[in-house]
Amino acid sequence: MDPTDYVERSDRTVVDVAHPYARPVPLLAIVLLALAIHGPLLLMQLPAGSYDANFHMFFASHYAQHWFDPWNVKWFAGFSQTTYPPLTHQWIALFSYVVGLKMAYMLVQLIAILLLPVGVYRFARIWVSDREASYAAIGSIFLGALAGLVYQAGQLATVASVALYLNALPYLYDWMTKSSVRSLIKGIVLGLTAAAAHHVTLIFGVVLFAGPVLWTAIVDAYDGRASGSVGGVIARGAIFAVAVGAGVGLVLAPYWLALIQHPIHQIPIPHDSRNNFLLNSATAINYFLIPYGALLLALPFIFYKGASSRRLIPLLMGFWLTMIFGLGGTTPLPKWLLGRAFEVLTFERFTFWATLLAMPLVGILAAELIDRFHLKAAVGLALAAVATFGAALYWLSANPFKPQMSTDIAPVTAFLNRDGHDAYRYVALGFGSDLARVSNGTVANSVDGDYNSARLLPEMTNYGSAQLTNSKFYGSAGMASLRAMLEHANRYGLKYIFVHDPYYEPLLTFVGWRKIEVFDNGAITAWSKDDVPPAHPIESDAKPSAFQGLMWGILPVGFSFLAILLEIILPETRRVQTANRVPVRAEHSVASI
Amino acid sequence: MRLILPIVLAAVTVVLIAVALTSANATGKTVGISAGSSFLTPKPTTPDQALSNLLLNAKRRNWDEAFNSVSNAQSPNKKSFIQDWTGSYGSLRAFSALEGYDIRPLHITNDEAQMRVRLHWTTPVGPIEDVRDFRLAREGEIWKTVWPKSDMPIVPSQVIPVTYLRWDLVSGGSDDEWGAKNIDAPRVRIVSMNPLDFAEGAVVLGEVVNEDTIPAFVNVTATLVDGSGNAIDEETSFDKIDHILLPKQVTPYRIDFPKVKFKDVKNVRMNIKATLVPASADPVIGVMNQKVDPDYQGKAVLRGDLFNESGQTVNIPHVIASLYDNNGKVLWVADGYVERALLPQTSAPFSIEIPKNMASKVQNFHVVVNQYSMGRN
Repeated sequence: MDPTDYVERSDRTVVDVAHPYARPVPLLAIVLLALAIHGPLLLMQLPAGSYDANFHMFFASHYAQHWFDPWNVKWFAGFSQTTYPPLTHQWIALFSYVVGLKMAYMLVQLIAILLLPVGVYRFARIWVSDREASYAAIGSIFLGALAGLVYQAGQLATVASVALYLNALPYLYDWMTKSSVRSLIKGIVLGLTAAAAHHVTLIFGVVLFAGPVLWTAIVDAYDGRASGSVGGVIARGAIFAVAVGAGVGLVLAPYWLALIQHPIHQIPIPHDSRNNFLLNSATAINYFLIPYGALLLALPFIFYKGASSRRLIPLLMGFWLTMIFGLGGTTPLPKWLLGRAFEVLTFERFTFWATLLAMPLVGILAAELIDRFHLKAAVGLALAAVATFGAALYWLSANPFKPQMSTDIAPVTAFLNRDGHDAYRYVALGFGSDLARVSNGTVANSVDGDYNSARLLPEMTNYGSAQLTNSKFYGSAGMASLRAMLEHANRYGLKYIFVHDPYYEPLLTFVGWRKIEVFDNGAITAWSKDDVPPAHPIESDAKPSAFQGLMWGILPVGFSFLAILLEIILPETRRVQTANRVPVRAEHSVASI
Repeated sequence: MRLILPIVLAAVTVVLIAVALTSANATGKTVGISAGSSFLTPKPTTPDQALSNLLLNAKRRNWDEAFNSVSNAQSPNKKSFIQDWTGSYGSLRAFSALEGYDIRPLHITNDEAQMRVRLHWTTPVGPIEDVRDFRLAREGEIWKTVWPKSDMPIVPSQVIPVTYLRWDLVSGGSDDEWGAKNIDAPRVRIVSMNPLDFAEGAVVLGEVVNEDTIPAFVNVTATLVDGSGNAIDEETSFDKIDHILLPKQVTPYRIDFPKVKFKDVKNVRMNIKATLVPASADPVIGVMNQKVDPDYQGKAVLRGDLFNESGQTVNIPHVIASLYDNNGKVLWVADGYVERALLPQTSAPFSIEIPKNMASKVQNFHVVVNQYSMGRN
């Protein structure tokens, strides 16, 4: 073999450039792999049983029928959908005209999943070679945290937003280091599209994702690897931040107005991701072991390698901070830094973000293992990835947090839709996330709902519980909230209660409700109260203006179309293949600087 | 840097975890499930710790670990131990979950300890507090809880004839939901109404009688009106009433108005809604041995026993009492739920707290029992 076929890599590893594993895996192949893994699961509609899938479909259903009117009277006796960024819901609404609501959800989820490895690949290339980035992208397909968010939690917007955000960040890096105006424009538009999908991702992404990118760009400028000075990089970063900040202010203006008008002052609702995982094995497995999976074995390498290069330290620090946040109440740091916001946020998404931030370093690990052990390493890594993903899918049915099996809601919706029953409001108890399915199937309105931040009725916000349908799971606070609502049944025209859990029957009996019908062989019972007047609209100052409805219907989805258009008319310039070379970016050890 | 930074990050992480573990509000509670165990259960080297471990495991329904905290001296049956916590026969305890507890030592020696625990339960009908004394004994280096034998009633096989009245209702068709809209509503009347300020709000209470010969489903609504005729608030009797009244039956009612004072109220509009419903006099629950006594804290409570005279289990009895002064005026309406199910031909004790400022004025009382029976309501 010609000695020139060998390239020295990081003073330890010898790379055989003629070896088939020495080339990066083509991005198209990675996307097809993601399609092969997640496509069938989505065709099986596996996420339909997740916690939030029905909530997303409920929002989408409203947009499909009232695109420019975000005021939805079906939940909470009326609430504004401007309290949640609309992009994913609007895309579901658009697709639903063709493939129906549920398949539209699966389709948008699939698009988000396919965008994710592309984003990871492009994000990882800021620090590592194309080959290592391709391994990082492959790893992102099999993340336990991704499986948990998609198939268990149903956090469509989180996944979609971070996928878009990861695709935007390389443009930020290029703009800061190369002053590329094309990158500036595309980065801003993609960033705004990501914000239109999920606001929380953008807010925390500024620190956790964009922070390391900015830091790295500064290091590169300092070391002379970027065009311009450190000051220039910072100035360009500031220009980008101001532009995105102003854009987000405009695109999500109705959201910010709603938030300013009604800040989230409700009593904090408990969430297991805020617990100390060391004090409960179930939460530790659900929020730590399953999301990380085999990635836990790579932690020593991630810390060692991340600290070995000045360019990688920002990434390591971003990963570490995000990982600590993902531990919820296991450490006090999130509570110290977030204050009251700690009680509002859920932290499983931070674990997901941490795994994404680890991917570039995992890509380096994969490359080094494959360089050293060839096929054995490839097989081992593949098995680790599949085991991680498989464990997360197994956990869907094994975990004590699993959503209940789907309920036959047809008799409930049929009851509400006949004989003028829709003139009254209703509550469905023990239905879990199926509440949104009931709402989609009927024109009747409810005082309950499955979106905590939109609640304004004092019977709900004054208590530390979430949905009325899940009252019992929130203990005394949940039952107190339900009692408060039942006490004011006449005020809200609340006449019908559907019970899918006998737990609630004693309360209904003692407070004067009577069982009137039995559905599904007794699995569901309908209860009524005789002296309730028909429901009337509840006055609310949270109703957005017609102009806000217009903005909400045009700008978020408009920016997503613009992002697609820009990718078409301003395609990314193909980078010179660097698979066989040590990437300049990644191989500057601290000792050598 | 290659080694220093990872070591620093690992050390900071460990310190942060340690801080979280030692903080006062470190919790391992879960939402929606009662599962999981702690990775770090402290050794029960003190009575307080031993009882804490037992209660935490009971709260999480880790019965194996909870039972391990129980002393073997009395050899309690594990099944009955679990049943003590989870209830039986569809009782209120069977619907309840332990939400929290406060432990207070009563007496501690080298080998024995007496602890008083206030148990906070969440139930379908609202939060319930239960005070229970536990005895603990030292076994070597650790402490364990001595679990008393439970005294579940044993019901012998028997035949109980049912001779009570029952009223059925033939509805006019599917258009009728419940109650008969084409039959005159039963005649019911508010026989007394007493508005008073209480704690942080106002209360309207009194009694309602069914004057008809058919059963009635009743609901009382009160509207508070200010000087200009505007409604200040409207509330209903909710669960402070026996909603189903048999002919000639009287029930107390109480309507609470939190955050309203009667100095702002000009008028109270009362509205009673009665509907004809099917009803049965069975199960008959007798109230016996009623008396006002002080409890362990010196508070006045109305105690007594409920006796189920029927042949069917009453899962959740609900006791509502009118308390009268020496003029026969309703001073207060108090209520309470009984945690144990009433098996056929058995009795169970009840106790209802009487407000401190009322206790000395109470001269008489009238107790009615409402009930929830699975599959019959």
